[in-house]
Amino acid sequence: MMKRAFAALAVVLVGLVFLHIVGDYAELQALRPLAHYYVTQVPAQLGAPNVVTGILISWRGFDTLGEVAVLFMVAASIGLLLQQGDGRETASPPRRPASELVATGAMVLLPLIFTFGAYVIVNGHLSAGGGFQGGAIVASGVMLMLVANPAARLNTALLGAVESAAGVLYVCLGVLGLALAGGFLDPRFLPKGQFGAFISAGAIPLISALLGVKVGAELSVIIDRFRS
Amino acid sequence: MSIGVPVSTILMITGFGLALTGLWGMLTHRNIMRIIICFVLMGTGFNIVMVAGGYVTGATAPIIDRALGAAEAGARAIDPVPSALVVTAIVIGFSVTAVMLAFAIRLYAAKKTLSIDAFTESKW
Amino acid sequence: MVAAAFHPLGIFLFGLGGGFALPLLYRLGKGWLAGGFFLALGGIALASGAGLLRLLAGEPAIEVLTAGAMPPVSINLRLGLWEAFFAVSVNVTALLGAWRLWDRLRGSYGALLLYLILVMGIDGMIMTRDLFNLFVFLEIVSIATYGLLGLSQAPAALAAAFKYIMATVVASSLFLVGSVLLYHVAGTLNIDELIAGAGALSRPMGVAALLMLLAGLLVELKPFPANGWGLDVYETAPGGIAAMVSVGVSAGVFFALFKLAPLFGAQLGIIAFSGAATFLFSNLIGLSQTRTQRLLGYSSIGQMGLLTLALGALAQIDAADAAPLVIGGLFVNHLLAKAGLFWLAETLGMEKTDSRAGLRNHPLALALLGLLIVAIAGLPPFPGFWAKWELVMRLTAAGAHHWTMVILLGSLLEAAYMFRWFGLTLRRNTSARAGHVSNPPAINASQLAPPLAAGLLLLAAGGMAASMAGVATWLFVPLVAGAALLAIDGVLPGRVKAVAMLLVILAAGSWLAWPITGIAALFASLLLAGGLVIAAASLYRADARPGFYPLMTTLLLAIMTLLRARDSLSFFFSWELVTLASYFLIARSSRASRYLLSFLLFSLAAAYFLMAGFAAVAANAGSAELAALRLPGGGMEVAFILLVAGFLIKAGVLGAHVWLPGSYAEAEDDTSAMLSGVVSKVAIYGLLLVTYLAIRTELKLEAAHVMAWIGLLTIVGGALMALRQQDFKRLLAFSSMSQLGYIIIAIALMSRLGWVTALYLVANHLMVKGILFLGVAGIIARTGARRFASTGGLARMMPLTFLMMCIAVVSMSGLPPLMGFGGKWLLLVAMMEQGWSLLAVASLFGAFLGFLYMIRLLQGLFAGPRAEGQEQAREASVFLLAPQALLAAGIIVLSLFPKLLFEPVSAAIDPQFAAGLVWEGMSLEKIYAAWNPTPALLAALGASALLFAVFWIIWRRKARTGGLARFYAYYRMVIGRSLPPVAILFWDGVAAVATAAAKLARRPYTGNGQTYVAYVIYYFLAVYIAGAGLGGLTP
Repeated sequence: MMKRAFAALAVVLVGLVFLHIVGDYAELQALRPLAHYYVTQVPAQLGAPNVVTGILISWRGFDTLGEVAVLFMVAASIGLLLQQGDGRETASPPRRPASELVATGAMVLLPLIFTFGAYVIVNGHLSAGGGFQGGAIVASGVMLMLVANPAARLNTALLGAVESAAGVLYVCLGVLGLALAGGFLDPRFLPKGQFGAFISAGAIPLISALLGVKVGAELSVIIDRFRS
Repeated sequence: MSIGVPVSTILMITGFGLALTGLWGMLTHRNIMRIIICFVLMGTGFNIVMVAGGYVTGATAPIIDRALGAAEAGARAIDPVPSALVVTAIVIGFSVTAVMLAFAIRLYAAKKTLSIDAFTESKW
Repeated sequence: MVAAAFHPLGIFLFGLGGGFALPLLYRLGKGWLAGGFFLALGGIALASGAGLLRLLAGEPAIEVLTAGAMPPVSINLRLGLWEAFFAVSVNVTALLGAWRLWDRLRGSYGALLLYLILVMGIDGMIMTRDLFNLFVFLEIVSIATYGLLGLSQAPAALAAAFKYIMATVVASSLFLVGSVLLYHVAGTLNIDELIAGAGALSRPMGVAALLMLLAGLLVELKPFPANGWGLDVYETAPGGIAAMVSVGVSAGVFFALFKLAPLFGAQLGIIAFSGAATFLFSNLIGLSQTRTQRLLGYSSIGQMGLLTLALGALAQIDAADAAPLVIGGLFVNHLLAKAGLFWLAETLGMEKTDSRAGLRNHPLALALLGLLIVAIAGLPPFPGFWAKWELVMRLTAAGAHHWTMVILLGSLLEAAYMFRWFGLTLRRNTSARAGHVSNPPAINASQLAPPLAAGLLLLAAGGMAASMAGVATWLFVPLVAGAALLAIDGVLPGRVKAVAMLLVILAAGSWLAWPITGIAALFASLLLAGGLVIAAASLYRADARPGFYPLMTTLLLAIMTLLRARDSLSFFFSWELVTLASYFLIARSSRASRYLLSFLLFSLAAAYFLMAGFAAVAANAGSAELAALRLPGGGMEVAFILLVAGFLIKAGVLGAHVWLPGSYAEAEDDTSAMLSGVVSKVAIYGLLLVTYLAIRTELKLEAAHVMAWIGLLTIVGGALMALRQQDFKRLLAFSSMSQLGYIIIAIALMSRLGWVTALYLVANHLMVKGILFLGVAGIIARTGARRFASTGGLARMMPLTFLMMCIAVVSMSGLPPLMGFGGKWLLLVAMMEQGWSLLAVASLFGAFLGFLYMIRLLQGLFAGPRAEGQEQAREASVFLLAPQALLAAGIIVLSLFPKLLFEPVSAAIDPQFAAGLVWEGMSLEKIYAAWNPTPALLAALGASALLFAVFWIIWRRKARTGGLARFYAYYRMVIGRSLPPVAILFWDGVAAVATAAAKLARRPYTGNGQTYVAYVIYYFLAVYIAGAGLGGLTP
């Protein structure tokens, strides 16, 4: 019970720290210069109505690239961790088939989910969404598919290749930015297009789509590895 | 609707509260799965705190459309930076959770238990 | 395109592009995979290396902008000199590590890409100038580490990895929240802007955010006691991975702290304290550790603690200009040495520190282990040595003595367990005792390449650090000469190597000694000549003696550089070289294994006293020149005590003598002669150098008086212990200790006469002990006996040895007409002149005891019946007799013509006493002219005879009968009863207390990951309260 007491004390003290922080918190009344620059210049310079996506893919694109690398490494790590346990190879009993409700529901929902995912991915520069969000939606569809049909086998080799290729392409687009525009990951080597149009905002939609494909593939691979 | 406390403050308190809940759980639960869930809880709490910090009184999402014209964006948009950061933080949090779960599977395979107290082989 | 590839951005293109492409290459085939991996890793290393070269050529820091916008709008990275240095170091180590890990990595593209992106992530942490981007890179590094830790199959390793994940996730969450809150306060994430506007961060939220950042980073550096999770990983992970975590990941985190340090201006004390506690406690706990990787883990965490301490403390005292040498040196030292040790331990299959007894059969592996351990211990010529020296100098100059003490104590503890490990590998392979050890794997020579490369890089880095420290190049002559002899060590026969050694010592030694003046010149000619004569005796053995000749060369030449040194750093460098060369020479004898550690620890303790003392002198005088020791001024109490204590420990005075007999007695026989005859004089030279400081203290002559009493106790104690010995080589070892006591008294007299006497005694002792040890070497070589009981009656068979040893004994015992008599007589006169009559009488008693044990030596060896099986023993080898004859000739010549010695001594000493503080002007000519030996001779002889009669009567009254042997046996027993081994008991007690403290200090480690998370949280709370005060807990 000492342990619980120490845990309680820790929580209380950390809580006091948080309270201290909240006590000093004052809601912003206006944008600071940097944020103001982003809000005004992402649409103006990059041609992307969605400021957050614009920032993520261009000016903080280096973060995004890192984030992609993290996800990529997770897929590899989980592969390393869980494949080793596979020495005994599928001695587990055959899975119970999914109930009819799930199976039917999946048939209805899957096309919707995939379509919605694709929409979120490619419209990331225009409205709420983006590659990560859309990729996650696609992967959730894959999850549902696997739940509905436990016997299904994902072609992880293909997914892995897609994932890698998308990554390599992303880096290549970054280099194109370096060669043709202002710097590494600069999306402005493609024309800005008409503000708000589907094909606009330079390479942002392209990168966004690559991200979506990559994230979708990665998450699907991860889900599949957990399944086995 | 004036309740006296700004909305983002409420959000921030909620986030911190969630993080504290996670903290309490990760310090008291024995089961590794629960501990992992508590880590997720803490991460989510912190994400909420971070997003809350970007709120500007009376402003809206920084997407230029019919609701928010390009001209008034500077005055009526929230700070987009925390939102961008949180997207990254969420992905990283997800990644960490996935790795932890994979380790949990391996640990269970090794000892047939998920009690954190069972994994104290190396000590000093 | 080629130019772009070698732009720093190339690091990330190679890292990410390569990482993403690896799975595709895997499908193309194994060759593609390996090629792609090494191309990418090599590309990373080249890109950083090219950047470093550009920067070294004087270009400004290379800015890497992204997305075609300027910071703070977009993320930028920077490759300045610091960044390039850290990145290149990490990348080169990573390349070597990949070689080491290749067997594990090549099987799986997953592991390869994790490794590749890990390296890139560390570079990113080093280079990025955006706070949140730093977090992203931190996570890249963390996730890659988690994945690589998953390579291991053992449940313990997986459990350890899980603990590691839990703790680091909490730490990085703190970092994340801290960064975003900081953005809320400052409105920017750009580190340069944050630093420029650091003043605006002082509101409560800003302070809290900074403390979260700081706590996150500190925890990632594994501070005591919130570091059990890190240690578990070091213990259980594959060695190559543990090495990467220990040096690579820690490097990234440390650099993040280093880069953000300007933000933590108000928290520097916390940083320094965290580092200090970690350094001290890690090294303390390491004492009770037997598993090799965990041992290295403690050392690793300790080293990061030291770096952290240096970072905080240097900033506190405003000594940023020292950072390149101190932080750069400590960093690269830890990086290469620790990685090398992890690799080596794994290659050699050293699961436990005693798993690899009998490593003597693998000279290369043994040499590498020794080299890397010397580097880790911060000894010359490695970068850690120069860095630690500079750090201690700066801290002492700024009055931060508490940090100096922590650094020196922690370093001593670290050396203790690292060298104990080394000593264990030297033991004979007694596999019966080590039942848990299955036969260690055979050593795969190609696997020694990475640690070998690390060792060579360390040497190069040491050279660079030395040039930064600004020392003269001649300081490296001993090492270069040693290396040259090492190069021929494996090919030439023993005697050829011995001749080569003598020639090199003669040539290089004379060259080094040429510009020396004053007292040092006297020592130089004496020690060089004596050293050469004694070293020549090594010709008596024809075997190859691997390592002996290079080490002996380094030893003697290092003594020359020590005498030539004009500043304390050069002196200290040479001092440590002498220590190390002696250590490894002693280590050549497997019998000495038991005594090695105490030899090293007392030597290092002495060295650290000296370091602190020199630092105190420099802080007081504002100059590191040795000449500053003789300037007038006051306030030198602490410096004086530290320096004298250091030199006295190294001289082996009573109380601190426990290291001496074992190592002198068990070293190889000609090495013993060198240690006792020549090397012990180095401490005496040091004493002469610093005793003058006494004048500059409040203590004045009182201090010298205390020193004289220490000398006297050493004489009597050493003589009594010598009398007790049944092993005649050990008897000589104690005799050596006892005789140094006279010299210490002579120095302590602080008069011109005393100092003349001291030098006279030094010369006498050198020759006497040279003869005695070499004579004994001949006897051991011919009879194989070490104990009085197993030999005797050798006078007839070894007449020349008998003659030489008689000359030596007569001279040493202070009997007329040889020079020992002159020395003792001078000493008595000097003491009476000073009014120290009690000391004079007591030292006469000591002389009598010396006389007794020397009779015992001659009687036991040469008189009495012959031992069985030794009837055919021949006279000793001519190679042993010739040096003895030379030394004996020296004794006779100096006895007949003492002016040969006195005149140069007088000339050398006069300037020392020109200030005339103690000395009242009696010229040496006068003293010498007044030398009327007859009364003194009669008095001394009478006193000795009287004492002998008294002892004989006491013995007889106890109704004993029999000859001289029985007489000695009786007094051996009396001494044994009345003289318990107080010193040994005391030092054993110290060791026991340290071990018990180590066991106590590791109690917080429960092995439970959940507890470790709680520690991390509490560590944050401690940092927070230390930074924000209790007021930080109120809303």
